[in-house]
Amino acid sequence: MIEKPHHVPERLGLLSATAADPYLTEDLLKGVQGHGGVDLAKVVEPLPEDDARWSVEPLRDLVDDAKYQFKDNRTDADSWLAPRLHATLRLTRREAADKRIWNHLALAVAPDYVAWRHAPAPTQGGSEPRINPARFKGAPDRQCFSRLWWAAEMFRNGQDYAPVVAACANQDLIHNALRMDLVDHRPTAQALVRVLERGIAGTGREINGLMTAINIAGATLVYDALAPDEPRDPEALRQWIAEAESAPPVPRHDLPTGPDEEPVPEKSVATLTEYFAELFETAPVRGRVPQA
Amino acid sequence: MKFYPYKRLNRPITLRVTSASLKLPDGTRDHLDTSAYSIPQRTVALGVAQHEDWISARIGLSATLPPGATDPDAPWSDLRVVAVLTDGDTNVRTTVDLRQDAPASKEWSGEIEVLRDDHVGRASLAVHAVATIDDVPGRSITETDGDWTVDVAAEEPVGGLRLDVKQASFSKSAREWLRPYADAPWAVDASGRLPLVMINTDVEGFSDLLGGESGGIENKIHELLVSQMATDVWTAVFHSAVGDLEVEPDGSPVFPTDWRGEVLREMLPDIVPGLRVEEALRQVHRRRTGDSGWVELQSRVHYAAVRRAGAGKALANVLRALQQMNREDSE
Repeated sequence: MIEKPHHVPERLGLLSATAADPYLTEDLLKGVQGHGGVDLAKVVEPLPEDDARWSVEPLRDLVDDAKYQFKDNRTDADSWLAPRLHATLRLTRREAADKRIWNHLALAVAPDYVAWRHAPAPTQGGSEPRINPARFKGAPDRQCFSRLWWAAEMFRNGQDYAPVVAACANQDLIHNALRMDLVDHRPTAQALVRVLERGIAGTGREINGLMTAINIAGATLVYDALAPDEPRDPEALRQWIAEAESAPPVPRHDLPTGPDEEPVPEKSVATLTEYFAELFETAPVRGRVPQA
Repeated sequence: MKFYPYKRLNRPITLRVTSASLKLPDGTRDHLDTSAYSIPQRTVALGVAQHEDWISARIGLSATLPPGATDPDAPWSDLRVVAVLTDGDTNVRTTVDLRQDAPASKEWSGEIEVLRDDHVGRASLAVHAVATIDDVPGRSITETDGDWTVDVAAEEPVGGLRLDVKQASFSKSAREWLRPYADAPWAVDASGRLPLVMINTDVEGFSDLLGGESGGIENKIHELLVSQMATDVWTAVFHSAVGDLEVEPDGSPVFPTDWRGEVLREMLPDIVPGLRVEEALRQVHRRRTGDSGWVELQSRVHYAAVRRAGAGKALANVLRALQQMNREDSE
C-alpha cells in the first residue's frame, strides 16, 4: 500500500523523466513502499515563485477528496477529477505538453493516488503484479494525471465541463480518442459525446468501432469543412489563467467553470452527430451481428 | 496507393509561405523578413527575431491548385481551399479558408494565425481542396503532398533533427542525475521534448575545443567529436523512440507524433531497407518485443546512426589533416 508521502513539496516543479527514473523503484511499482520524498526534491527544477498556479495544496486536497469519495469505485474518479484538475491547474496547452510537470505531480505530490487509481496489475508473462510505469511518467494519454487534464481540455465545450464528465465515463473513449487526432477538431469531440449520450454507441467496442470508421472516412472527408469551428481566442484563456491567483477551491459537488471561450457551433455538432450515427449503422463492430 | 470512391485530381497543391509577422505583448507587430522561412526546406522559423514573448504569429499563404480544379465541367461544386495547422504535442488543430485570388483562378491565398500558447515546438501545415461531389459535401479532392513545418522556437528554417546542447560540470551540476557520469565527456538524455547532449566541462580544455574557431587540426577534431556525439544521439533517440511505441488494439505500432516519429521515419529506411516505413516499424517492433532478431538489428541501428552523423566524412577529414601535418613535419 503506497501512502501519501511524508514530505509533500509546497510547490509544483519540473521533473525530467531521466531524473525521475531512480525513484521509480520496484517497491513503488509493486505497490509495496513509496520512495523517500526528500532526495527527489534535489533533482526538481523549480517553477517561478510568483505564480499561484504552482501551489500544491489545492491539488493535494483534490486527490485526497477523490480517494475518499470513490473508494468503492476507482474508475468513476476519472469523471469527477478530470474537470476539477483542469480548473485547478490552469495551463496553456504549451505548458501542459511539458511532461515534467506531470512527472512531478505523480512522483512527488501524489504517488499514492497513482497507485490507488492504477493498482498493480498482472503483467504479460505472468510475473508479479506491477503498476504500469507509464502511469507515473508516460505518454500524455497514459500518465495518471495528464490523461485526465487532456481529456478535460479536449472534451470541454468552451467553459462547460459537462461533456467531459460524459466522455470520461467511457474508458475506451478517453483511452483511444486522445491517441487519435480526430478529437483535435472540437466539433468531432462534441459529436462523439453526443453519440454516446444518445445511446447510439455505448459500449467500449461500439465506440472503438465508430472511431475507426470516423478515421477511415476522414481520409476522403475534411471534417473541418463539413463542420466549421470558431477560431481560438487566446485572450479568454489568458484571462482565466490570470484569475487562478484569486480563484477559490473548485466546487466539489457542482462542476467548475472553464475559460470563457466560444462554445462549439451547435450546427456543426448536430451535422456531425447525424453523420456519425449513420456511419455507425454500417461500421464493423467486434461482436456485433451485421443487420440485414 | 489509395483508392477513392469518387473522382479526384491526381496532382497535388503547391503551397508557399509568403510572409510572417509576430504580434507582441505591447500590441505592435514585427514583420519578419524572408530569412524566417525557407521554400526548399518547407519550414518557417518563428524564433528568428528572438522575441522572448509573442502572442501570435500570422503566416501568409499562397496555394496553387493543379490544372482541372476550376474547370467549369469538373464533377464537383462548392470548391473551397482550406489550410490546416496541426500539432501532435498539443493536439491543436487550426483551420482557415483561403480566398480565390480571382474568379476561376488556380491561385488561392490567405493567412493563418499561430498562437504562442498553443505550441511548444513544431506544427505541420497542409492545404486541402474540398468540394461537394455526388451530393456529398466536404470531399477532399487533392491536397499538398508534403507538409510545411512551422517551428515556433527555431531561429533558422532548417528541417531535420534538432538537439539541445548544454555544458555543465558533471561533478558539481545542479542536475544531480549527471553526477554518476562525472568521468564521461558527454551524456545524452533522450527522454525530454528535444534530445539533450550535456557536455562535461570537467574535462579540461574540452569546451574550448568545441567552442573554438581556431582552424587547422583543432577544427577537424572538433568535427570528429561532434559526429561521435551525433552518432550517440541518433542511437539513443532511436532506442527511445522504439522503446515507447503506442500499440493499436490489433498489435500494430503507431508512429509517435513528436520528434520521435521524425527520427523513426528518417532512420527506418536504413535499418530495414526496402520496406515502406509503416511495415519497417512493425518489423522492428516485432523484433524488439518478440523473442528473436533484436540483437541482430543493432548493427543496422548503428549504421543508420553513423550515416546520419556524418562520421565517415569527419574521420576522413581528420586523417587527411594528420597526413598533411606529418608531411609538413618531415619536409
